[in-house]
Amino acid sequence: MPKPEKLIVKIENVHKAYGKEKVLRGISMDINESEVVVLVGPSGTGKSTLLRCINQLTVPDSGKVWVDGVELTNPKTDKDKARQHIGMVFQDFNLFNHLTTLDNIMLGLVHVLGMKKEEAYDKAMLELERVGLANKYGSYPGQLSGGQKQRVAIARSLAMEPIVMLFDEPTSALDPELIGEVLTVMKDLAEGGMTMICVTHEIGFAREVCSRIVFMEHGEIVEQGLPVKMLNNPDMQRTKDFLGKISVLD
Amino acid sequence: MSFIEYMLIALPKIWVGLQITFKISSICLLIGMVIGFPVALARVYGPKWLRWLVSAYVEIFRGTPVLVQLFLIYYGLPQFGITFSAFSSAYLAIGLNSGAYQSEYFRGAIQAIASGQMMAARSIGMTRLQAIRHIIIPQAFRFAIPSWSNEAVSMVKISSIVYLIAIPEMMYVAKMLISKYYNPMPTYILVGLVYLLVIGVLTLLLNEIERRTTIPGLETARRGS
Repeated sequence: MPKPEKLIVKIENVHKAYGKEKVLRGISMDINESEVVVLVGPSGTGKSTLLRCINQLTVPDSGKVWVDGVELTNPKTDKDKARQHIGMVFQDFNLFNHLTTLDNIMLGLVHVLGMKKEEAYDKAMLELERVGLANKYGSYPGQLSGGQKQRVAIARSLAMEPIVMLFDEPTSALDPELIGEVLTVMKDLAEGGMTMICVTHEIGFAREVCSRIVFMEHGEIVEQGLPVKMLNNPDMQRTKDFLGKISVLD
Repeated sequence: MSFIEYMLIALPKIWVGLQITFKISSICLLIGMVIGFPVALARVYGPKWLRWLVSAYVEIFRGTPVLVQLFLIYYGLPQFGITFSAFSSAYLAIGLNSGAYQSEYFRGAIQAIASGQMMAARSIGMTRLQAIRHIIIPQAFRFAIPSWSNEAVSMVKISSIVYLIAIPEMMYVAKMLISKYYNPMPTYILVGLVYLLVIGVLTLLLNEIERRTTIPGLETARRGS
């Protein structure tokens, strides 16, 4: 018996424009607990903007967003508090350059969650172990490879015990030989039941790991479905054209 | 009187002047920093009205000579019933002037921090103020050190203008020595050498601070990119 599904993220008719450029034109989406959703589509299609609308780093012009039952688009909602438990991983890592990997992870634990230093230290070390970088606890971001940086960034997010993780092209800035180590960490997370929304062109990851592929174009969802269906036999020609093109690269 | 003999007479007096030069420069630099850093933050992160207000301050104090500012405060304000001592006038005028310049150095440093740093801080639930305090400020101070060093060095020299309101700093001492011994060239050379020495030591000190606060790995990364 599958357990009853719990809605984690609900997006309702979200619009966003930068000046005259309409980036999102009415996006609606439901994401359940432990779902791994991969967003694909041509660049400039609004995938990253959509991710940032979920944690309100970008405020939508209209529409509503709920995370774990809390409406973030409600002006009364404390957005900082809500973001504590929405993990986000960026294309260019955005580790805090002046802090060691350990301090990168501890900072939020101590100053946002109010943990004691010793407790935060243990938690941070645990998260570093989880991404296989416990031995790098004293290194600064500038001393790590791209793949290591991204794994620390993931650890930093995980330490906050997120209810959902947002990945914004987590492997796009990496040298090809470093992509694997990041995808492995993401795969482990997915298998552990983490709810994930990933903007990525890694079709291999989508095929193996995700539960749904969402194809976006010009700020709209064109088509979505199971990876098998989307990759092999999509309904729309546009989906077929796009996924066909990036699958060749895979 | 040989140059050496003259030196032995002049140097103790110059030393007294140097102490005042040092006092004026360091206090004005400090005032400038206390004003300049918040002004820079206000210019980058503040609401529009505040940005406008602090920009006006910066442009006014950068756009007029510091000597004019000093005279307006020391000679001008008493006409409106506000009187400052010579020292207070010097701190106020040069400090405010330096604050305008320093705010620009700090603003450049803040803006050199990648926007992703702020975004990442917000994404783990930090408030804007927390992000500024824990992420932006520690990096901005480091980035600002090279240009701030420039301000420190020029401050030591700029402070010499206060001899015009009769504060007995090094230039004032030089003028006194010249009128007493009628030997401008040796005096100016001597004072020039003392300035050079002081600034040399200051530069070494600032370089050392820069070296010690460099973020490991970042320097090479920046050079490489």
